[in-house]
Amino acid sequence: MNGKCFEMGAIQAFLDGEASPELSLRLTDHVAACDLCARVLAEAEEESSIVFSMLEREMNVLVPTQRLWTRINETIEVEKSTAPIWEKALAFVRASLANPSLVAAAGIVIVMGIFMVVVTVSDRTGTEVAINAPSQVKISEAPVTVPAPDRSLVTPASTDSAKAPSVEVSSLPAKKLAAIVTQANARESQRAITPQTADYSTSSGDAYLPGEESYVKTISDLRQNVDLQKDTVLTPSTRVSYERDMAVVNDSIKRMRDVVKKNPRNQAARQVLYSSYQDKIDLLNSVAQREELMATLR
Amino acid sequence: MFEKIINLSCLAILLCLGTLCAGSAIAQDKKPPTPPKVKVATPIPDAAPPGFFGGDGVTSERSVMVDPNVAVKLCVSEGTLKINGWRRDEVRVFVKNGRRFELKELEKSAASGKVNWLWIGNMSEARPGPAAECLAGESIEIDAPLGSYLDLSGRAARTSIDSVKKVKIKIVEGVITLRNITGGINAYTSQGDVMVENSGGAIALESTTGNIVAVEVGPGQIGDLLRAKTNSGAISLQKVEHRQIEASSISGSVLFDGKFLTGGIYNFRTSNGSIKLAIPMASSCTFKATYGFGSFRSDIPLTIITENHSDTAKTVVAKIGSGAATVSLTTSTGSIGITGHKTP
Repeated sequence: MNGKCFEMGAIQAFLDGEASPELSLRLTDHVAACDLCARVLAEAEEESSIVFSMLEREMNVLVPTQRLWTRINETIEVEKSTAPIWEKALAFVRASLANPSLVAAAGIVIVMGIFMVVVTVSDRTGTEVAINAPSQVKISEAPVTVPAPDRSLVTPASTDSAKAPSVEVSSLPAKKLAAIVTQANARESQRAITPQTADYSTSSGDAYLPGEESYVKTISDLRQNVDLQKDTVLTPSTRVSYERDMAVVNDSIKRMRDVVKKNPRNQAARQVLYSSYQDKIDLLNSVAQREELMATLR
Repeated sequence: MFEKIINLSCLAILLCLGTLCAGSAIAQDKKPPTPPKVKVATPIPDAAPPGFFGGDGVTSERSVMVDPNVAVKLCVSEGTLKINGWRRDEVRVFVKNGRRFELKELEKSAASGKVNWLWIGNMSEARPGPAAECLAGESIEIDAPLGSYLDLSGRAARTSIDSVKKVKIKIVEGVITLRNITGGINAYTSQGDVMVENSGGAIALESTTGNIVAVEVGPGQIGDLLRAKTNSGAISLQKVEHRQIEASSISGSVLFDGKFLTGGIYNFRTSNGSIKLAIPMASSCTFKATYGFGSFRSDIPLTIITENHSDTAKTVVAKIGSGAATVSLTTSTGSIGITGHKTP
């Protein structure tokens, strides 16, 4: 081997077809004149042929390749399905950014957004400056007020909180404030079921009559269940009867409530009212009873 | 201030992202149209047509020797059911054009060794269709001992029961007719009338949309209660000898034709209907009639005890004779009327 001989790597690249055309030309010229390189090339070519002959079966068979592609595709699908939402979103954004037109549109929108932010902030700053004017400072020093606990609010009759007197927050201890909040929450829960929420209510501003609350709550509970069932449980004819009877009972309740409100000492009206409430409960129970019987026979 | 800037920045970023998404969606190729989803109609179990009895359509008859006081439990999906009491210690079941059935012995009497608890039901298990365990047929006839206790439930059955000891029946649709039941009745139908005749014991009759009629019934023992309740129907009680009666309707009327017994407690109530009492002229009872917007009228001379005077919702407490029975009459918008007849 002289100084012009090629290295083994170059010879192997030539055999693998990876050498450049210039290198290939120089190597072939040199091999034609150099016995040593010609022998090395021949040995390398022989080794390559042996190796390729051994791998020929594996390389020519397509089935493992197809199987491999299938497995790759399946793996990709599984990874796609199990990937978190944020990864999918990220991949979607990346794919979207690859589109130059979309990038340009997004850039325009971003610039517009920044412009709007700047304009909005400048407007807000001007408004705050106006609020901090000397004439408004006095207002900010005034005590913040909240509605005081008013017993009239406990009943549903008075819902106008604007009429309630106010007390200064600064004059109340923290425990009392907490009690006010608790009472307010209790009032909200009491308002959940009231005569106003029932369909026989007369007008706004009604409070429970003595002994009426338990009836109203029972009816409300039953009605929630019956409203879900009656469309499926009742046949058209029974549904008509049910609605008619319900209208009769509601009308009776409404009229008797008005009478009792005008004259709370009228025991007869009170008795008829409670009797009508009981009728309504029985009516609602009849739907549940029918549903129960049908369920046992399925 | 700083929070507002952050909020506005977030808004702008969201706007940009939204635009990006919309642009990408527009730029994407249109997906091939997905094939329309076709709903496969599944058979609804409750939607069996009339006359469908599970596909059997056979006429069959079975019988079994039982204890005289046998308890018979059965349910009927649909059909006309007739149950009669007889003097044999045997239960015979005849089903015309219906499902095959079986008589299942649930318990035997230790003393007599005969069946004292019997179940009558569908033979084939896991049958599809409504009330799969129940009997069904064009007509179903059952003969049972006079001392039998029947526990019956059903969907759509026109039921007639005669001459057994005790009956408990609950059906969804159908008329119930009961005669000569001596040991008590508990009958409920959601849609249909209930008629009871010549029976005794504690009686509870209930219908949602039907009428209730009870004729010549009485208690089996002291304290037995007769309760009749309907929503849309009328209640008619004639020659009833129970000392405790509760009858209530919502939109129907209530009629009582009989006599009030000494010490009896009677309660009649309706919301929109009228209450009519036809009692002997020589009755002895104390009335408390409460009515909202209706009226009160009596053909029998009354002794008014108390009466409130108001435009609406009046109460009249009055006495006939010595006032031996207590009668409460309540109606909201209906009228209350008392008429007398000369029979003692």
